[in-house]
Amino acid sequence: MPQYQNVFKDEAKLDINYVPQRLPHRDGELRLLMEFFDFMLHFPGKMSQRVLIVGEVGTGKTALSQRFGVDMTREAGNRGTNLHYIHVNCREYHGSFFLILQHAITVFHPNFPKRGYSAEELLTFLMQILDEENTYAILTLDEFDSLVLTEGSDAVYQLTRSQEVRQNKPQRLSLVCILRDISAIGQLDASTRSTLQSNIINLAKYSKRQLIDILNERVIIAFKPLAVPEETIDTIAELAYSENGNARFGIELLWRAGKYANAENFDSVSAESVRKAISSIVPATKKSDLAYLNLHEKLFLLGLARLFKDGHKAHVSLAEAEQIYMVACEEFNTEPHSHTQLWKYLHTLSGAGIVKTEVSAAGPRGRTTLVYLPRIPAADLEKELWALLQWKGA
Amino acid sequence: MDVEDIFSSRVRMKILKVLAQMGELNVSAITRRLGVNYQTTARHLDVLEAEDILQHKKFGRIRLYRLNERSPKARAIQTLLDAWKESGVKSGRQS
Repeated sequence: MPQYQNVFKDEAKLDINYVPQRLPHRDGELRLLMEFFDFMLHFPGKMSQRVLIVGEVGTGKTALSQRFGVDMTREAGNRGTNLHYIHVNCREYHGSFFLILQHAITVFHPNFPKRGYSAEELLTFLMQILDEENTYAILTLDEFDSLVLTEGSDAVYQLTRSQEVRQNKPQRLSLVCILRDISAIGQLDASTRSTLQSNIINLAKYSKRQLIDILNERVIIAFKPLAVPEETIDTIAELAYSENGNARFGIELLWRAGKYANAENFDSVSAESVRKAISSIVPATKKSDLAYLNLHEKLFLLGLARLFKDGHKAHVSLAEAEQIYMVACEEFNTEPHSHTQLWKYLHTLSGAGIVKTEVSAAGPRGRTTLVYLPRIPAADLEKELWALLQWKGA
Repeated sequence: MDVEDIFSSRVRMKILKVLAQMGELNVSAITRRLGVNYQTTARHLDVLEAEDILQHKKFGRIRLYRLNERSPKARAIQTLLDAWKESGVKSGRQS
């Protein structure tokens, strides 16, 4: 058997779900988050907390909250308090309040039935479980904007007020809401908004220097010694910085470059491996982002990708997008959804940072919504969506 | 109820097996796995609960059944079923 080089020591340390021991350049934010929940350690049940974490893609929102979850649960355990940290990606559940609560309940009862009750009943069941097990929960709603977009004020209102209807009972459910843009909660009614806005942690985009520190930390734990030269880290940091200071993008690129180095049987990751890696990925949009989209969101986006690919256009109108979406529906043998529904899909795609929308200046036919595909090569996007749609057997 | 009465029913044995394997299930899910009707399942669940072998938690209309961890009978049944399953794996049979 020939001996192949392997630059990795433990590539799982580059996985999106890995929670690092230390979060470079987020120490202050982590301390602040712990501070917001400090009462929970000293006086559990006396009050509940709501915190918003706001920041662009790759600014460490998820890593920060998960690190906090691990630390907080451990600290509570040391003090004899039973605390569960539950992290839910709302987009993974298509922003459905019902599915999000169902996920929270399966943490305690993995075989809880999938139907036969409403979201309101599920919330009651969750509180019942917390009471019966004398436990506390921090429910983190990642990609919170997806829940706001799908369910509006009612669901968020119920969650934030769930404690108030339980007078003289321990306060058991706290919330951490993670979102890219604070303006997303502008869609909530004033009273719901007011329950959320008191504690906000804003994560600024990383500088190149900070990205170098983050990448270095991961290199130490994920790669063999001397496998990643300084210049390679510098190149990746530069690319991640140009992607809006996106650390996640940098870490994914680091992993992929390692894979290219292994494939060519190199003993270190060169800048050339990075270049090969960068040309193979869809920038700024993880494949999993696309996988979370529902069938019609995918078909709508597929149509858009084709419009951009064939026409070399900077933007297209919603009407054009709608026409080509209908063609995609026909191709995949499915009934097209209404114009209003497409509006919602456009919001979802725009919220996910995949497309950008703008309303044109008033012309002879009034205003038009223009759709841009600012960062993703249309051909790559089409290829990716096509594969996903085929795989799902659409 | 005597031990032979508990173990004489095929449905009760299947309920115990499915709960020992899955941990916790509601009545409809047990019914589906057993392939019998809802009333039959519910009746046998009542018998096993009356014998302290099972316990349930109630969430609105939903009842989630599991082996009663505090019951020596339930612990003995779990041990019996585990041993049965293990010997089935060794001899290449499915328990």
